[in-house]
Order: sequence, then C-alpha cells, then structure tokens
Amino acid sequence: MKRKPRTPIRVPSGSSPGKEEEAASHGIWSGTISFSLVAIPVELVKAVEPGRVSFRMLHTKDYSPLQRKMFCPEEEKIVPPDEIVRGYEIGPDKYIVVTDEELESVTPERSRTIEVVEFIDMKEVDPLYYDHPYYLVPLKGGEKAYQLLVEAMHRTGKAGLAKFVLGEREYFVAVKSTDGVLTLITLHYREEILSDKEISPNEVETGADEKSHMKKRIKGMMADFDPEKYADKRRKKIMDILKKKAKEKAPVEAPEVGEEEGGGPADLMTALKESMRKVKKKR
Amino acid sequence: MAGRAIWKGYINFGDVNLAVNLHTAIKEEHIQFHLLHKKDHVRLRQQMVCAYEKKPVPTEEQSKGYEVEEGKYIIVDPAELEQTTPEDSRMIEVHEFIKTEQIDPVFLERVHYLAPDIQPKGYGALLWALEEMDVAGICTWTMRKRSYLGALQARGRVLRLTTLRYADEVVPARSLGLGEIPLSEKELKIGSDLINQLTVTFQPQKFENEHQKRLQALIDKKARGEKIAILKPRRVKPTTPDKLLQALEASLKKVA
Amino acid sequence: MSRKIVEIAGKRLSLSNLEKDLYPSYGFTKAHVLEYYRRISKFILNHLRDRALTFKRYPDGVKKDFFFEKRCPSHRPVWVKTAEVWGDEGERKKVCLVNDLETLMWVENLASLELHLPLARAGSPETPDSMVFDLDPGDQADILDCARIALILHDLLSELRLASYVKTSGKKGLHVFVPLNRGETTFEETKQFSKAVAEIMQENYPDLVTTKMAREYRKARVFINWSQNDASKTMICVYSLRAQEKPTVSFPLSWKELKKLAAQKDLETFQVMHFEAVRRAEKEGDLFHEVLKKKQRLPHL
Repeated sequence: MKRKPRTPIRVPSGSSPGKEEEAASHGIWSGTISFSLVAIPVELVKAVEPGRVSFRMLHTKDYSPLQRKMFCPEEEKIVPPDEIVRGYEIGPDKYIVVTDEELESVTPERSRTIEVVEFIDMKEVDPLYYDHPYYLVPLKGGEKAYQLLVEAMHRTGKAGLAKFVLGEREYFVAVKSTDGVLTLITLHYREEILSDKEISPNEVETGADEKSHMKKRIKGMMADFDPEKYADKRRKKIMDILKKKAKEKAPVEAPEVGEEEGGGPADLMTALKESMRKVKKKR
Repeated sequence: MAGRAIWKGYINFGDVNLAVNLHTAIKEEHIQFHLLHKKDHVRLRQQMVCAYEKKPVPTEEQSKGYEVEEGKYIIVDPAELEQTTPEDSRMIEVHEFIKTEQIDPVFLERVHYLAPDIQPKGYGALLWALEEMDVAGICTWTMRKRSYLGALQARGRVLRLTTLRYADEVVPARSLGLGEIPLSEKELKIGSDLINQLTVTFQPQKFENEHQKRLQALIDKKARGEKIAILKPRRVKPTTPDKLLQALEASLKKVA
Repeated sequence: MSRKIVEIAGKRLSLSNLEKDLYPSYGFTKAHVLEYYRRISKFILNHLRDRALTFKRYPDGVKKDFFFEKRCPSHRPVWVKTAEVWGDEGERKKVCLVNDLETLMWVENLASLELHLPLARAGSPETPDSMVFDLDPGDQADILDCARIALILHDLLSELRLASYVKTSGKKGLHVFVPLNRGETTFEETKQFSKAVAEIMQENYPDLVTTKMAREYRKARVFINWSQNDASKTMICVYSLRAQEKPTVSFPLSWKELKKLAAQKDLETFQVMHFEAVRRAEKEGDLFHEVLKKKQRLPHL
C-alpha cells in the first residue's frame, strides 16, 4: 500500500519546471473560486502535514549537508533550474518539450479559476472518491463573498463540485464548508475507481442469530471518535532512539569553510596585535 | 475490476477472526513528464550534492542526520532505524467502533477493499451489521514494516479498510484565524436559494479527465511539428463586497 | 484540552492546550509561556521585527520531541506577515515575520519556546545588522570562563573603537554583539573580522580560548564561534525563553554587571529566569536597544 506523495499538487514554477515549489507568492496556488456570477479570490493551503521524522542527508566524511540537485549524466555536471525543461517521452530518448505556457493553454478556462458548476449533498459521495484535502483561504477583498459561500453551504448542507487545472493535472474537486472554512478535497475520477464486483463474496444467507450476535459485539465496543488517542508508534520509537543518542554523544557539525585558511588582511592583523598589546598592559 | 490481492490479514476483535484479502480500489494514470537538459534533451537525474565540493556524493558516502541544534546533527544508523520497524503480523486489530458521521473526511487517506478469503463465514454478518448500525471499526495493523491506523467500514458489496491520518497531521480549520464578516439575512437567503437551485444528485461520471486527453492531443500535435496556439488563462474579476448582493440576485435570476 | 479564542488588534486567534505543562520539573504551562511573551513583547518585538523566524517547537514540553521549522506553516492565520527568502537547496521559501503581538502569540501557541533569528533582516539577507561572538564553553568550562573572555573581548573591541553588548545565551554561554546597522557590511566581512579577532584572542590566551570547532580542542576552553557570522546561521533572540529544565531567558547584561558576576564566581547568578526578565526589562528598559540602533563600521578591512 503506497503512501500518497507529500503534496500531490505539483506547480509549474515560471519558466523552470525543475522544482515542486510554490509558484504563487502565497500557499500552494492562488486564483479564484466562482459559482454562477460570484467570484472569490482565494489561496490554497495545506490541510495535512505529514508526521514523518525528517532527516537531513550529510556527507559521511565531514558531515556537511547535502542538497538535492538535478544532474546531467552526459556532461557530468549540475544543471541550474533555468536550463531545465519538461519533456514527454514519445520514443526511446525522444522527447517532446512542453512549456508552462503551453500547459496552461490546454485548459485555459480552468487554470486560474475553480468554477463550481453544481452542488451536491456530500452524503451521496462515496468516501472512495476522496483523494487529498486542502483549505481555501480568502485573499484581500474576498472575505465577504467567501463568508457568504461558507455560510450558505453550511445552511443548505451542500458542497460544490468543480474541476480545476494545476500544473500538469486537472483535478476533480469537492468544496465544502467545515468549521467556518472552505475545505477543498480532490476526488478520484469515476474511471479511476475499480469495481468491487469481482471480489465480492457470493450471496450467502446470514442468519438472524448471527446478525444480532455481531450487532451485540459491536455495541459492546462503541466509543466516541478521538483521533488523539492514537499516535504513530514508529515515530515515537525513532524519537526515543534519537534522544538516547543525543545523551550518549555530542552532535556532529560540519567544519566551517575557510576554517583552515589563516590570517586576515594585513592591516587588520596589525591593528589587532597592537590593540591586544594595549589591552594586556591595562589588565 | 479491483486490483489483485496485495496482502492477507485477519480482522480481529473479541472472538471474531476473519481472514480477508486487501485489494486496491483506485487506479490512477497520469501523463508522466521527465526533466530534461534544455540544450540536448538529456534526461536529468536527481543527485545528492555536497554543498562544499559541489559534486554528487554516492550513497555509500551519505549519512542520515537529525538536526538537534542549528547545524548540529545526530547521525542515525540505518540498522537502528530498521529496528524500529514494526513486527509484521497479519492482525487487523479493531479497538473500538464509532459512528461513521464522527469521522471528518480530512482524516481519511486511502480506501482499500477487503474481500473475504475463501470461506466467507462471519463476513456477511459483519458487512450487514456495520452498514445497519452505520459505524466504523477503528483499527491498527502492520503491513510491510509499516504501522497503520484505519477505519473498517461497509459500503456496497465488500468491507473496506481506509487508512486514517494521525491527529497531529491534520491542521485544525480554526488555526487559520479567519474573521467573521457580518452578512445580511437577504444575502444569506439568496445565496442559499442559489445553491439549492444548483443542487443535483451526485453523478461522478459527468466529470471526466478532459485535460489528460487534451494534453495528449497537444503532445501529438507537437510531435507532428505543428504550432501550438498559446492561450492565456482565463482570469475572473473578483466580486467586491458592495457588489455581492447584486451578483447573487443576478445569478439567481439566471438559474431560476 | 482547553481552547480559548482571543482577539488582538481586531484579529482572532485560537489558543489551545493552555494548561499543558511545558516545563514539567518546574511547572510552567503554555498559558505561562504565552503570558511571559505577552509581557516581554514590547521589548522582544523590536528584535524580532522583519527577521526570518526559525521556530523551535516543543509541543509536548521540554522533555519531549522538538522540531525546527524555518518555513512559515502554510496553515497560518491570514494576517501573519511573511517574506520570501532563498533556502539552502536553492529553493524559494516563505518565512514568518513576527512583527506584532498577535503573531507572537500565534507563534507561542505553537509552543515555539525558543525563537532563533538570522543576523540580517529578511529583506536584505546578505548584510547583517551586527557581528556576533558566540562564546561557547567546552565540557569542562563554564559561563564564568565565558565571562572572563567576554570582558577581554570587550576591551579589545573598545580599543578598536567598537561598542559591544553582551547577553546570556540562557544556557551555558554568552553572546557578544557588535552593532553595525549600516546596510553595507557583508557577512564575508564580519566573518573575516570576527575570525581575525578570535584568532588574536586564541594566540594570546591559548589555554582559555579556541577558535576550532573540533571537540578535542574545546574541553576546558571557551570556543569563540566566529562562523556564526553567516547568512545561513541563526542566534537565539534576546529575551527568548530557552527549552532547559527551567524557563531561563537569553538576557542582556551591562558590562558593569558582567564584571561583578565574574568576580562573584557564582554560576547560578548568571541565569535570568522568566519572571526576573520581565521585572528587570520593565524597570531598566531594553539593554539591547543599541544593538538595533547604533551605527558602526568595521575598521581596517
């Protein structure tokens, strides 16, 4: 079972697609969300932060931190972001380059706007469709219209459905109102959902006794949902190991560049020597 | 059709012990792009590079460190991390049952199908009871050296196991600090009416991944050497607070 | 798990887990931490302003896990000010600027007991506002040794016509700041200068001072960490709490007081506790005020 990638939404970064970075100057994406003739400027932010313990890769010999860079295997050198392009493989070593502008041209009506075309009752949505949650926050000037949408969706108990394009992909999304905030959940497309028909059991008659017995068992184990009750045990184990190590040995540090080069500018060294002499005399 | 079984386990609680098979329920397909060197289209590789030497560093010369203070690290041995991986067991331990409505969708990660293994004895009763009572079993299990937290539910013909996020991984909505803007009852009424007018039943088949198709067409076009028309993304003018009521009224008129 | 909504300057903030004891051996809850920072805010905000904050969060208290955060969390309240800086992997990232009380309260609600800052402002990351001498005692040295070195350093800098100011780190060392505030001195220059000064100190007091980072040189000496003068390094902000057993503060001392403490030879007296920090600051004002204001040039470069 693969864990989902950290931020499934990948953003084109101006003319250099080499990084998964924040294109807009806010959050992950900024644009407008609209329904009928009402348009609200918003920003997309994370609703989920992975709980992994994050490590840094270091160079074993001197503990200097390593950085992730794109490398050209042919020229054997690091390639800066402005020399990186995005390509689609159409044959062995044959690529078609697609620029950010061309990408936005594919579905221009949905690159900057989440257009809510209809509303539905979330109860009708099978959780199978849920992919990843985000929050939408209003940008300057949009606070009132945003609040209106939040409240009206809360009153009616409905959620909006839309599609919008971000980077290389188009997302099918549901926008709902939770705790005074708009939550955007990306959904899987119908064609991405596999049927359970083939693997479902054959119709076997379950007796009334068996049913009531099961019900009783479940009743005896009822509780209230409290996610705080459950902690990631592995994370805790890793942290315990780290704490233990921290007590045993002092942490390592990379040497400062230039630590070995001696002396400063001649003027300064002379002045320092002279000043030091005076200081020592006074003491 | 659901993917083949990726794991076998046993649903366990009280005296219940059901052998089940885990199947994937989602199959995603995206057009994959690669990063290339602009001048010669050589496919680039991601490398870990030393900040000082500015050269790639092979894996044997890499160590994992945890930053405890600015620029100071504790080195961790991969073997030590190995020790923290949980023991593989086949148990899907159900700890408690809760009302399904209590699970905020923000906690749900990925849904998998749980089909019965050979003998479906007891499976039918559990499937029926979970649906009838509208409850979910909160459970934990270990698979391929990872521990999971999940919800066991019934919907449709098979049981489902959905992984759940841990509490500290979810950002509470109220931490966004959004203020409250006063709205008139009129605005709220028209807004609600508008939403109700635009409400339909959920028909997911209406929403297709058109972008994929169009993107493929663009790629094909480029491959044939044809020119691509650059279209500017459509930008919509935001509705200012003073024009909100007007926009709502006009919208309602349009859809009614 | 208690929760409270407060309003500061018209902005709403949700505070949580107020009764969580973050310093269990001492008894100092999150509410106490918020209260401390609220009271010290009129002094600390001037030092935090327009600088990229590095959070050091202890959500379950000083005895449990902590983590660093340099990126401004994307789920911040909309009114938190941010700036864009370059990260060490060449990427653009957004940092938090703590320019007002409400942002400081939000930061502390995240249990960022310690506040670390770079020496330069976010808008001009290559030109530090001051040069720093981070005095770090080896395993067999202590703050008293740091004090002695700091006093000599102060004399040396005075000979060079440079005013300097000292604060406790809140842990085992001392920090000596030389204000610059001219927007023209680069890290390259402050690094070069501070390294030269540190080497002269080592040359003249070889048994007390070392400029080398390697553990074997530091045992009974004070390490003058000149390499802190770098765009990528951060220092604990003055008036910040430390995540030690007890809530000590990185507090400024006058040179007169430092001299007195060095003569008394009592290690404990160097540490300033949270309540003392508030009391003294309210009485004496910000002893580090000149670090933000005084304009100086590094001579002989």
